[in-house]
Amino acid sequence: MTKSTASIRRQLILMVATVLIVINAVALWSAHIYANRTAKESYDRLLYGSALQMAENITILDSQVFIDLPVSAFETLALSTADRAFYAILNGQYQVLTGYKDLPNIPFTQLLQQSREKEKFLPIYYEAIYRGERVRFVALGKRLLEADSVNDVFIIVGQTLDARRVSATEISQMALQFVTLFFFITLLLLFFVIWRVLQPLQAIKQAITERSPQELSPLETNVPSEIAPLLKSINYFMAQLDNTLSRLKRFTAEAAHQIRTPLAGLNSQAQNAIDETDEVLRQKQLQHILESSNVLADTVNQLLNRATLTHRYQSHPFSPVSLDHVIKETCRELVVWALERQVEIEYVGDIQVTINGDEFALKQMLQNIIENAIKYSPKGGTVEVALMLTNELSEASILLQIRDQGVGVPDQDKEHIFEYFYRSPDNFASGSGIGLSIAKDVAEHHEARFHLKDNQPTGLIVEVIFPQRKGLSYEH
Amino acid sequence: MSTRGWLSGLLAVLLWLVNSLVFADGTSQSTHVIFPSASFHTKPQGAVLSVYGALNRQAITPLFKAYQNKYPDVSIHYTEANTRYLYEQFLSQPTSRPDVMLSPAMDLQFKLANDGYALAYESPSLEGLPQDSHWRHELFGFTYEPIVTAINTDILAAETMPQSREQLLNLIRNKNHLLDDKIGLFDIQRSGLGYLAWAYDGQQSRSYGRLLEAFGTHQARLYTDTSAMLNALLKGHIFIAYNLVGAYSYQWSQQYPWIKTLMPTDYTTIIRRTAFISRDAQQPILAKRFIDLLLSPEGQHILANQSGITPISTQVNGPYSRDELSKLPHGIFRPIPLGLELLIQTDDAKKRLIYHEWDNAMLSAPNPVPSMP
Repeated sequence: MTKSTASIRRQLILMVATVLIVINAVALWSAHIYANRTAKESYDRLLYGSALQMAENITILDSQVFIDLPVSAFETLALSTADRAFYAILNGQYQVLTGYKDLPNIPFTQLLQQSREKEKFLPIYYEAIYRGERVRFVALGKRLLEADSVNDVFIIVGQTLDARRVSATEISQMALQFVTLFFFITLLLLFFVIWRVLQPLQAIKQAITERSPQELSPLETNVPSEIAPLLKSINYFMAQLDNTLSRLKRFTAEAAHQIRTPLAGLNSQAQNAIDETDEVLRQKQLQHILESSNVLADTVNQLLNRATLTHRYQSHPFSPVSLDHVIKETCRELVVWALERQVEIEYVGDIQVTINGDEFALKQMLQNIIENAIKYSPKGGTVEVALMLTNELSEASILLQIRDQGVGVPDQDKEHIFEYFYRSPDNFASGSGIGLSIAKDVAEHHEARFHLKDNQPTGLIVEVIFPQRKGLSYEH
Repeated sequence: MSTRGWLSGLLAVLLWLVNSLVFADGTSQSTHVIFPSASFHTKPQGAVLSVYGALNRQAITPLFKAYQNKYPDVSIHYTEANTRYLYEQFLSQPTSRPDVMLSPAMDLQFKLANDGYALAYESPSLEGLPQDSHWRHELFGFTYEPIVTAINTDILAAETMPQSREQLLNLIRNKNHLLDDKIGLFDIQRSGLGYLAWAYDGQQSRSYGRLLEAFGTHQARLYTDTSAMLNALLKGHIFIAYNLVGAYSYQWSQQYPWIKTLMPTDYTTIIRRTAFISRDAQQPILAKRFIDLLLSPEGQHILANQSGITPISTQVNGPYSRDELSKLPHGIFRPIPLGLELLIQTDDAKKRLIYHEWDNAMLSAPNPVPSMP
């Protein structure tokens, strides 16, 4: 693997941390807002309380307003130890009776409105800059009744905002401490959970590492259901590998056997020839030796071809190949060998097709199929090689048929004919038993479908159907 | 004392004399004293720290000496006056405000600070002091002084020395006409400290009304400064002086055995002299150094030993330390809070009410005696 993918652990931690940070930031922000509101409300209450206490001590006698402010009103204000405070008491004509004479932004219109509505006076809160500092004020009216006259007085009490700020900061800081603690505890827990969740993967890795290279039986590690498909895939892959390996082993054993048997035959025939005195018989025996060694050479060639092809599959990329050209060339090369066996090769086809493929491999495939057909053809028979376009399948494809007039292959053998070294029990022709399986390999490597049909009246048709690919040309 | 220090001391006295001559024109209510820097003769234009205070010169001089030992290049200009005069002076002279303002009239000082005339300064010296010795780092309490009553024992005859306000009232009742025109009080309309102590009494005690009535019927004499009242007491012009600052009274008691000082045992009002740095200070750094010294163990020690004033620190020792103070017979110590509660003392409506009561009581006297100069 050349591209390194990101670690699941890191991604999980990153995501979880991001979510946590966002949540905590929101929590802090709302705590901050809450803190400010709480501080504001509680200190507004103190302010209002102070104003109420002042109001209670304002009385009227003989149209004369008496103001005897209680200490408690100021003690209430003094609860915020670090704040300056200002107050004023005004009569209905907005004359300052006592206190600060120059308080700013007194909400006269609102007070007047409340006064006109003759209902209960409600506190009016407002902020203003006074003597160089932001000050929060409360304005409160009081109605003084005496005989037949009604007088209103207005009480203004203000305080700077330090205590509110300190109180809000205190609450915010408590929230900050809590959130920080919460953040780290959650993070730790999440680290633990992530470690715990990834543990099964670690277990699988451990189980695989501990195995010997030959051990391909399924893994029996206990994993959670989410990881089970992965384990299943691994086990499936291992089963495949096991299958392939055993096939290879079988092939090697079979190949060794196939080579050893003719060699033993050669050996004994050669021994016989040495012992033979009759020149004619000896000649015949030598002829047998020659035939046997030909068969052997054939087998070895096919094995080598196969090895070469396997190697080519991995190393040679496909290139455009003119299929009809390759077929004609192969037929031409085999025509002499066929005639020696009194078999004719007939090419039936009038299309020109180019496909993506491996020319050498395709040629090998054609050679094997045609040689096979020739071998099983009766004397005077004809092998027909046909190339055409077909619409048999849902889409246009290229159909290649090699038809012979031999005995054909019984249906029960058709499944086995591609197995290595398989030879029909009633097959007497010489052959390695490997040719058709190579051909099928090549076809499948080209994503072509390969199958067998019966010819009429007798014989076998080998069919190779190449899918029609875009961008490749064919013409009549 | 080094020669140089001695010389500068001498120079200071000379200059003070000159200034006193210049300003003591009878109409002036203030005294100016210059404490020149050690380098004054070579560099007369050096830095000047300007201080307003109600502390008399004998009490403040040791502090200034200590300051000039530390910062020899600084001259100090000290203006001494009655607390209300200082307050009005401060407000009416915006261009020549002092760097540091010292006063026992906590309400007036507080009003100035609340109105934004004080500079906040987080003095490191605050560390060793009680929590409530400052307000907003603007107003610094530096003393802890009882408000006392002084009695010329000649009046007692067979009577025992009164200990509480109740016993004082009994004494007045028993002596009756002997005490006509023989009780001394601060004129609350002219002395800031007098008003503060009197108004605080009004908040604290039920005997307040009866005291006022007694003072009125016996035509109490009104004074604006402590030494005049103590002088009158010494000479027998008055026999009872009510609501004095403890420091002066105790000094006189030590000197003149027939003057006895008592801290009323029902409750003893405590005032704290306060200091603040003016926001318009010309020399804020020098002023901050002065505050640092004033609140430091060194400054507090000077107060307890040389100035004869009980300092606010509970840590220092000396004849006038808080420790010594609490050994004397006293009532519950009721310190006037250094905070927004003081605003009530500056309230005009409240002031009018108290003045009204006061005038009603005092004007019932047939011959109001003019205050001594």
